[in-house]
Amino acid sequence: MSAARPAIAVTGVAKLYRRYARGAHGSLKSALLGGGRGPRREDGGVVALDDVSFTVAPGETLGVVGANGSGKSTLLKLLAGIVRPTRGSVSVAGRLAALLELGAGFHPEISGRENVEITGLLLGLSKKEVAARFDEIVAFAGVEAFLDAPVKTYSSGMAVRLGFAIAAHSDPDVLLVDEVLAVGDEAFAHRALEKFSEFERAGKTLVFVSHDLALVAERCRRALWLEGGRLSADGPSGEVVARYRERVAAEEGERRARAAGAGGRIGSGVATLESVRLLDGSGQRVGLLRSGQPAAIEIRARAPEPLSDFVFGVSIATVSGAAVFGTNTALEGYRPELFSGEARVVVEIPSLDLAPGVYAVDAAVHARDGAPYDYRRDVLRFEVTADRPGAGVWSPVRRWSFSGGVRWKG
Amino acid sequence: MSFFSPLRRAWTHRALVAALVRRELTARYRGGALGFLWSLLNPLLLLAVYATVFRMVFAPRADVRPYALFLFGGVLLWGFASSALTDAVDAFRVNGPLLRKTTVSPEVFPAAAVGARLAHLLLALPVLAAALAFAAFRGRIEPGLAALEFPAVLLLLCLAVFGAALGLSALSVHFGDVRDIVGNLLTLTFFLTPVLYPAEAVPERWRWVLRWNPFSSFFNGLHDTLFYFRPVAAADWIGMAAATGLALGVGGAIFERLRDSLAEEA
Repeated sequence: MSAARPAIAVTGVAKLYRRYARGAHGSLKSALLGGGRGPRREDGGVVALDDVSFTVAPGETLGVVGANGSGKSTLLKLLAGIVRPTRGSVSVAGRLAALLELGAGFHPEISGRENVEITGLLLGLSKKEVAARFDEIVAFAGVEAFLDAPVKTYSSGMAVRLGFAIAAHSDPDVLLVDEVLAVGDEAFAHRALEKFSEFERAGKTLVFVSHDLALVAERCRRALWLEGGRLSADGPSGEVVARYRERVAAEEGERRARAAGAGGRIGSGVATLESVRLLDGSGQRVGLLRSGQPAAIEIRARAPEPLSDFVFGVSIATVSGAAVFGTNTALEGYRPELFSGEARVVVEIPSLDLAPGVYAVDAAVHARDGAPYDYRRDVLRFEVTADRPGAGVWSPVRRWSFSGGVRWKG
Repeated sequence: MSFFSPLRRAWTHRALVAALVRRELTARYRGGALGFLWSLLNPLLLLAVYATVFRMVFAPRADVRPYALFLFGGVLLWGFASSALTDAVDAFRVNGPLLRKTTVSPEVFPAAAVGARLAHLLLALPVLAAALAFAAFRGRIEPGLAALEFPAVLLLLCLAVFGAALGLSALSVHFGDVRDIVGNLLTLTFFLTPVLYPAEAVPERWRWVLRWNPFSSFFNGLHDTLFYFRPVAAADWIGMAAATGLALGVGGAIFERLRDSLAEEA
């Protein structure tokens, strides 16, 4: 294989799927009486991919991002040769392994040992090659003790690890990976990523579909963004991911605006919350923030009749409902005197030290005894990203220091 | 020739086919205390039932003795052919996840369906051999060298069944009716094939039915080699070769034509 020849070449590819559900035309009667050839219909199909062209050089790691249904999986299936393009051509140089669904070939009733052999053969290894790699595969998956037990007794994590181990050891020139890291635990994801690094160092080509944008930006030099089956962007992964994020955040913002208040609203209505918005450091409305950046929650409220008993409150929770932070004007020592007509209440947070994730905001205006005038649950959602991942909800400014007998590479 | 490509590809991936067959057998017998012994026990029990029924209940056919032995070989061979075709019809449905998620050659699935049933037959043949030996020892039959022609009969039958399995498996992905049609046709064909009776017992004016039934010559071949111990008639060799060629040609052509769509439709 010469260096000039691309590892993957996709030229003007389109893929149509038949629209009708399986079975609608799936009887001999309809094929015979309908006069047409049952399969092979192209009219009224669903366009999964349209006019997609790109090449991947040997040794390149390519990320593919896009919403569900944008054609990512179809693209991988085309690259893998599982389905054929309706138009255009796909060529892949060298041995290919596709990790589309880990453990897809496993038979639950037979042992792990037998499944390793058969999956290896399915991936195109010879019996000898499977035998030669067997110990390595089993060690990587960490299932030595369960080798002779039927796979139906495995935990899903074990099955996934074993599936990954087999594919990773099939020595491909081109490896296609579809979202497989989402299914394992932390430790597995870590080992899988290490394996990918090994591939890169060995000059293998990697195509990587993921919803984990930070991972794509970090692992891939280049990324494709698919939108509605078309190639929306092809370039350095950082830029592509940033553009994709902007689009998602914009769409999310619209969606949230439409769904505002959908989370629930209680109160007497003596005073009302007109809007609750998240602002960035420059006062612009945002839906996506970087951890450590300044942010503000802005409440616009209205009291038709003058009020002397009022408290404004906000709280932030994870989308699964765990409280992260909450406060109100009474707790902070503000004593109410008058609230009449329109008011704008802003809580500024100079450094939003939240861990990456999506958060939900509740906001309220209520009496000092807690009786709500207007309490809005889940009135606003926003996403936080970070350069450095971490567990939990807090991402403080941090510094490590080391002394003594510990040393780091680089 | 393109319609032989499926056969060639199945041969290329024979290690995988063998592994799939092994998987099928292991999975089938796992969990049972007797395991693989069932492959011997099933035909043995079947033979015992026939021997008893035709001794005690029905009068056996006077023209073929021992009738239980005659029946046994035919039923084993028919069981192989019909269950292989039935399994093949479902091969892509059963292996849909594999087909959609891996880059495997689809030929291996009908091949493995036929292979697994062949393995069951091969495990049952020793029982047939023992029964023949016992009958010969008792002087009920006179074995001869014509038995050596049986492997050729079996080989042709396997190829014919594989050809039909290719066509039917691919068709059933697109047409849900195929499974029911095949099931009913097999039931009907069972009675139109010399399994329960020898071809000679059919009145002259109905012989054409047997002549046009592609299964007939295989069962004539079976009876000649493993019951009457006489060389297979030339007409039956021609019949077997024609049926095999037709099944591989038509089945292979259908498969080849639908091959690319299998992963999308299964």
